[in-house]
Amino acid sequence: MTATQAAASIGPMVKESIADSLRARAEGKRKLAYTFIVCAHDEILWAMDVVPVWTENFAGICGAKRDAERFLQRAESLGFSRSLCTYALCGLGFDQWREESGEMPTNAPWGGMPRPDFMISSGQILCDPRSKWYQASQQFMPDVPIYNIDLPYPLFQRDRDHRDVWDYYHKYIVKQLRGLVAFLEKQTGKKMDYDRLRELVALGDRTWNLIDETYKLRKAVPCPMGTGDAMNTMVPICFLMGTQKAYDFFVDLKKELEEKIAKGEGEVQEEKYRLLWGGGLPAWYALTDFNYFNSKGASFPAETTYRMVEPLNEMEIPETKDPIEHLAWRWLGYWTFWYDKAKKRPGSEPDVEWLINLIEEYKIDGVVMHEAFSCRTWHVGLIWQLHQLGKIYKPIPVYVVGKDGKKEKIYRELPSLILESDIIDITSYSEVDTRNKIDAFIETLESNRVNRAA
Amino acid sequence: MVENKSSVFSTVEKYYKDYGLRARELKHEGKKVIGYVCSFVPLEIITAAGCIPFRVRGNVHEPITKGDTLLETIVCPYYRSCFDLSVKGTYDFLSGLVIPHGCDSMVRSFSAWTYALPYSYFHFVNIPTVCEESSFEFFGAELNSFRKSLEKFAGKAISDADLTQAIRVHNENRDKVRSLYEFRKVDPPLISGTELMMVLTVGSSLPIQEANGLFDQALAEIGRRRSSPVKKGPRLLIDGACLDNIELVKLVEEIGGNVVADTICNGARDYFPKTDVGGNPIDALAQRYLGKINCPKTYRQNKAGSFEGDIASRFGDIGTYTKEFKVDGAILYVYKYCDPFGFEVPARKAYYKTINIPVLHLEDVYSAGTIGQLRTRIQAFLEMIG
Repeated sequence: MTATQAAASIGPMVKESIADSLRARAEGKRKLAYTFIVCAHDEILWAMDVVPVWTENFAGICGAKRDAERFLQRAESLGFSRSLCTYALCGLGFDQWREESGEMPTNAPWGGMPRPDFMISSGQILCDPRSKWYQASQQFMPDVPIYNIDLPYPLFQRDRDHRDVWDYYHKYIVKQLRGLVAFLEKQTGKKMDYDRLRELVALGDRTWNLIDETYKLRKAVPCPMGTGDAMNTMVPICFLMGTQKAYDFFVDLKKELEEKIAKGEGEVQEEKYRLLWGGGLPAWYALTDFNYFNSKGASFPAETTYRMVEPLNEMEIPETKDPIEHLAWRWLGYWTFWYDKAKKRPGSEPDVEWLINLIEEYKIDGVVMHEAFSCRTWHVGLIWQLHQLGKIYKPIPVYVVGKDGKKEKIYRELPSLILESDIIDITSYSEVDTRNKIDAFIETLESNRVNRAA
Repeated sequence: MVENKSSVFSTVEKYYKDYGLRARELKHEGKKVIGYVCSFVPLEIITAAGCIPFRVRGNVHEPITKGDTLLETIVCPYYRSCFDLSVKGTYDFLSGLVIPHGCDSMVRSFSAWTYALPYSYFHFVNIPTVCEESSFEFFGAELNSFRKSLEKFAGKAISDADLTQAIRVHNENRDKVRSLYEFRKVDPPLISGTELMMVLTVGSSLPIQEANGLFDQALAEIGRRRSSPVKKGPRLLIDGACLDNIELVKLVEEIGGNVVADTICNGARDYFPKTDVGGNPIDALAQRYLGKINCPKTYRQNKAGSFEGDIASRFGDIGTYTKEFKVDGAILYVYKYCDPFGFEVPARKAYYKTINIPVLHLEDVYSAGTIGQLRTRIQAFLEMIG
């Protein structure tokens, strides 16, 4: 159940996207590319009329429909360990099944994942599976070529200014993206229309800013839209960036949220606790856990997961008429967005600084994280981040200097909850255990609320 | 193992058991010891800065405790052990630590290392994931950033001449290791796998000149041998990531196998590729560390257009070693939660099939507690190929 009409429209949107890829396969006129979200290449794909098949998304759908297990088991039978990224295992099991049988696996979720013409993987600074998955797929599809885009960014190092190195990072990313364009031109037999690409990148920029404005509306009390909805509205952010459809979606969502705020409508009827989804991909088969939180009066005004945009006007992006160069700067601007702010606070670092910012801006009472056992990319470091937060938000009164210069006693305790399971491997999940943990967490929040009120 | 240990192997055993002993002494003498994890860290730059590179290792006998309070248990178990020992103070003699982009576990835990450890210097080296002309250009720039950062820390300019000299000494080190491997070609081998692993592990804890001296002594000692320290048995190759404890190899040798070759990080993967000399030293280092180290983390384009051609290209070094060292079988030893190796298991198995080498795949968790299970599996494998 979603709080907003906009989020409710996502299911059909994804279904149509998959149906379109299957149509494209059947018609044979457009080229299909297996690829990953958040690779700085969305607008390039649209400009070349390539149909992206978002393989992580399909694995997520299998998970949400609780139908990933048969593909995971098939991948295991091929020799892949269950400890590896289960998105990748699901995709590999599915591919091998489809390639071996010559047809879609029986009752494949939403019609299945079509065979690609080529695959675009990504060697980012994090996520090893993105670089290894398609290489492993070639065992079953040796005729399908791969282009692997390397997209590094300078890792945060407190004693260094990332600007000292980012010129050569930018130069490299530009070359990698130009390499992608050349690859696509060869695969599609078409030349890149740079005027069109420029328009799509500009549309992407406007969408970034619009998403930022829209999501910031969730600061309102009560919060009009929670993380449960955001796990749906990530679709236009991650799968449709640079399209009019994505822009229009957020125009509608913004309007809807403004109307809700005007009416004082929240995600939950009586908002008692405001929670931050502080990290981790969701358990796609257990999104109703968000409804369970809601039933206890807990709302999620913010999350770090899938919030893959930051306001462009707050980034240092040099002026350029070259859309490829702009995409590379936007990439670097996003990943280094919190670096300067983190340096100003001892003990902080970008991920922690982002959390602190959200906690303060969105009036957060507690943090919830999800540790998915199969994904190191997004889940390693969460415990340490909570440790760092614990140094600031202590379970004892803290004295601060108030507005009038006088000492004030405040309570900055911030309870946290770590849920443990996986992104799509349902065998790792226990609804009873999860809900017991949530109940205990809510009791802690309630105790804090009562103490503060007293 | 040889029963009456020579002085060189007594020294090796002493340094192996008290890992870091020499580094602690050097620290007291005022030297800067720089720790590193993974074969991607360009050691020549550390040596050229007048510092001592020291490979941080784990301990399969030490339960991971304190480390687990800061790092998730889904991190590579080998890396978790390294982190655990570090936060317990085992490596407090280090002045700094260098971590490369070797895998997600390294990238995502970098902050935890920098905040949890008392060292005054940390540096992250970004390693490209692909191997193209632009990747080498980028990597060269990244190596120069590391060079500048270390110059600042060491208080010493690192000239091209310093780098060239360091490259020469490290290449000598690799030549000596190559010579040690030559003793494995005899059947049964004149050096046991356990001995070699101890020598190489200890070597990576010493200043490069001292390691070279130790290797010379080991070469002389083994050169005098007239018989093998192990009984003749099936000749095995160990294929995998970092193996810095002797337990697996020792187990294989106890059961009757001869470990004669490997692809491991502190073995052939790291020691066989040399740095080119004569040109720009940074370019040469970029070529060695990106182009020549055959790690699954680095994506190499399938230029063959076929699966068989691709695996022949990616794993060709295995084929070369199996011929060179007359290998009868291989153990593909992969750590749980290791994505770079884990995704290659079916392809590696397929490759072994094409070269007619039987392979045993083991997934393990970097703990002495699994030795019993491993023994059963390895025994069965040796019986099969023996």
